[in-house]
Amino acid sequence: MADNLPSEFDVVVIGTGLPESIIAAACSRSGQSVLHVDSKNYYGGNWASFSFSGLLSWIKENQQKTDVSDECEDWRKLILENEEVISLNKTDKTIQYVEDFCFSNQDSAEDVEEAGALSKLPVFGAAGAEGAAQESEKECTPMESALPGAESWEPGKAAGSDPASATEGNDTEITSESGSSHNSALGESTLELGKTEAAPSETSAQEPKKITYSQIVREGRRFNIDLVSKLLFSRGLLIDLLIKSNVSRYAEFKNATRILAFREGKVEQVPCSRADVFNSRQLTMVEKRLLMKFLTFCLEYEQHPDEYQDYESSTFAQFLRTRKLTPSLQHFILHSIAMVSETDCSTLEGLQATKKFLQCLGRYGNTPFLFPLYGQGEIPQCFCRMCAVFGGIYCLRHSVQCLVVDKETGRCKAILDHFGQRISANYFVVEDSYLSESTCKNVCYRQISRAVLITDQSILKTDSEQQVSILRMPPVDVGQPAVCVIELCSSTMTCMKDTYLVHLTCPSTKTAREDLEPVIQKLFNLNTETEKETENEELEKPRVLWAVYFNMRDSSGIDRNSYDSLPSNVYVCSGPDSALGNDCAVKQAETIFQEMFPTEEFCPPPPNPEDIIYEEDELAPEDSGFNNSPETKPEPAPEEGSGRGSTTVEQEHREG
Amino acid sequence: MSMEDYDFLFKIVLIGNAGVGKTCLVRRFTQGLFPPGQGATIGVDFMIKTVEINGEKVKLQIWDTAGQERFRSITQSYYRSANALILTYDITCEESFRCLPEWLREIEQYASNKVITVLVGNKIDLADKREVSQQRAAEFSEAQDMYYLETSAKESDNVEKLFLDLACRLISEARQNTLVNNVASPLPGEGKSISYLTCCNFN
Repeated sequence: MADNLPSEFDVVVIGTGLPESIIAAACSRSGQSVLHVDSKNYYGGNWASFSFSGLLSWIKENQQKTDVSDECEDWRKLILENEEVISLNKTDKTIQYVEDFCFSNQDSAEDVEEAGALSKLPVFGAAGAEGAAQESEKECTPMESALPGAESWEPGKAAGSDPASATEGNDTEITSESGSSHNSALGESTLELGKTEAAPSETSAQEPKKITYSQIVREGRRFNIDLVSKLLFSRGLLIDLLIKSNVSRYAEFKNATRILAFREGKVEQVPCSRADVFNSRQLTMVEKRLLMKFLTFCLEYEQHPDEYQDYESSTFAQFLRTRKLTPSLQHFILHSIAMVSETDCSTLEGLQATKKFLQCLGRYGNTPFLFPLYGQGEIPQCFCRMCAVFGGIYCLRHSVQCLVVDKETGRCKAILDHFGQRISANYFVVEDSYLSESTCKNVCYRQISRAVLITDQSILKTDSEQQVSILRMPPVDVGQPAVCVIELCSSTMTCMKDTYLVHLTCPSTKTAREDLEPVIQKLFNLNTETEKETENEELEKPRVLWAVYFNMRDSSGIDRNSYDSLPSNVYVCSGPDSALGNDCAVKQAETIFQEMFPTEEFCPPPPNPEDIIYEEDELAPEDSGFNNSPETKPEPAPEEGSGRGSTTVEQEHREG
Repeated sequence: MSMEDYDFLFKIVLIGNAGVGKTCLVRRFTQGLFPPGQGATIGVDFMIKTVEINGEKVKLQIWDTAGQERFRSITQSYYRSANALILTYDITCEESFRCLPEWLREIEQYASNKVITVLVGNKIDLADKREVSQQRAAEFSEAQDMYYLETSAKESDNVEKLFLDLACRLISEARQNTLVNNVASPLPGEGKSISYLTCCNFN
């Protein structure tokens, strides 16, 4: 190796998942020297996202599970007499029951190769001619992302008392980088050869295009398939942290555009913002009024205890029944807005969840959620970039043999890496999956059931193909968990054109396939193309082109003491949890950072040295014109947004 | 400051082996400095320089690797939404040239289809130590459809030219796109939601 690693750091972080990456960034930001390693050749661990070919290799790896424990243990000679070792895992055992299925036409798929960005076809020299000859389509402009008209549920008076005219300014920064009206150049557009594109309005009425397996392989790099499926609550801890730390500049986001519900065998859109309710065609005038009244109450439910205190010991579902809401409204509120369990969510929890949803609504658009372009897997990497910018050293494909513990003090003093190099540090942060079976022998893990589908149509077709939808499927049977379904369109940069990427997630009760296939059958057509379709109903459903199921270990919420004999300066980060948001990872990162450095601020805004010409104006929203719906107070002028937003953040933390 | 103080904004990303002079190129161009030691660029994320080309203000946002190339651990997100890539090697270091195909693979995987790539051989001030001939590099760049240029960040040779030529190309590409795509019109998804939101004003 040409370049050797330094052998002393303040902090060594093992694993590049979200919590580890946030910790690495926070440590580096506060002036600690950080070494951040991952044994894999990609960032993110179980938070990673993959191209199609990348995912296929990942599947293979996890189906084969080669055990490399027979490796020679020469490194043991490097351990001194007054030292002990804690061996680390060589193989990741967090993924189980991986099953993949192909339903699309595989006829010509044998020798297909993925096409790269630099495919020889468009020769630069001929740029002019080529541009005119080809019909290119603007697949996605990052800048359109999160700002299409923020509409607020907050009553007007509350907006005024909100200590944050700066808040609104900051909000827009997350979409940043791109507010300019001359943004054409920054958008990613795809050059398509030939005239494959019909006008969107036409396509929606037409039969979906037949996508073959070889097309999926060829366009494989268009996919960014997340191992975990999450969304960012627009007032959640992660958004706050991204804004506060300025890490938001490394990512671009898109609004989730629809909240869906599954009722009586049908998928329908849930009206949840004020505008949605007013414009809804499914709701009668009476229903609109009832829903508006109830949602407005939920926003300030604490001020009206008389309305709910009699039901504090009942479930939220029971409470809803007393509110003169029609069954469809009850369904919407319970499953799609509060997103809570019918059987065991209390009235208060339900009200809290509803309020959280409604509060998130106005911030970036008319759903409470944002999705990062190119997938959730970008987010840990953004924090890693931040860490590197402040001097952190990065090493993928770098395994650690063991932690070296001083017998006398009981503290961990170093790691030994796979080259036998000893790297010492004061603090060690280790992701759960790196810990050996003997360290984890008393730990009881839960599992997450996951499925990822590539489909040819949206589960709810409208005249726009570019929708990001979230659907919470109520339990199929009693005792089963609800399943979260997130459908991504190609403009999220996670799948190829004319396909959708569908993520299903629930806490496991059985294998992922057993847990999720019944739900998939309700929503999708699982027949292969050659099979004869008999029922008309099946034909209308989106067809699954390709699917994978797997179970992932959920190591969240594990008490530190259940790990066997870990030194006090070794901190454990968990893998992804099954919740929709990212609050768990952010809280864990902040807690660990504060245990290590109680006096340091967690991810403060970066300094603004004069040599970084970092102009605020380029981050300002261009389209504030869309925001002035009558219910909202007019947005403060973008210039006011130059505050660093720490007040907002503190405030939000209390709420969260 | 008004938003209208530039006509174009481009993101340019530098890659290449450690020590080939990426940071020096950026510093030379944006600040007119040649840092004597390889002072680590702590806390500096990207540098901005606004240049004027044919009367149009072009803002170049130039991103450096933050050292993540040292152990081949550049984040994919670094490549996202880059308009241009400057792939740099050191003309006095054969190894840095031999690694180029590896870098190209990364670009293939993560960069946008429309990215413009420039191959830059840096350190021509050290001509007596040259290990990579101009001809080899020219052949390589031709085979890969890349522009090719040799520079010296130290002597400021061709540095200005590198970025200004790139800016010109980016402008003409952007123009082509605008013509072909009519970028001003809303996208399928967004067009819908915008008109949708506008209509709620009447309630």
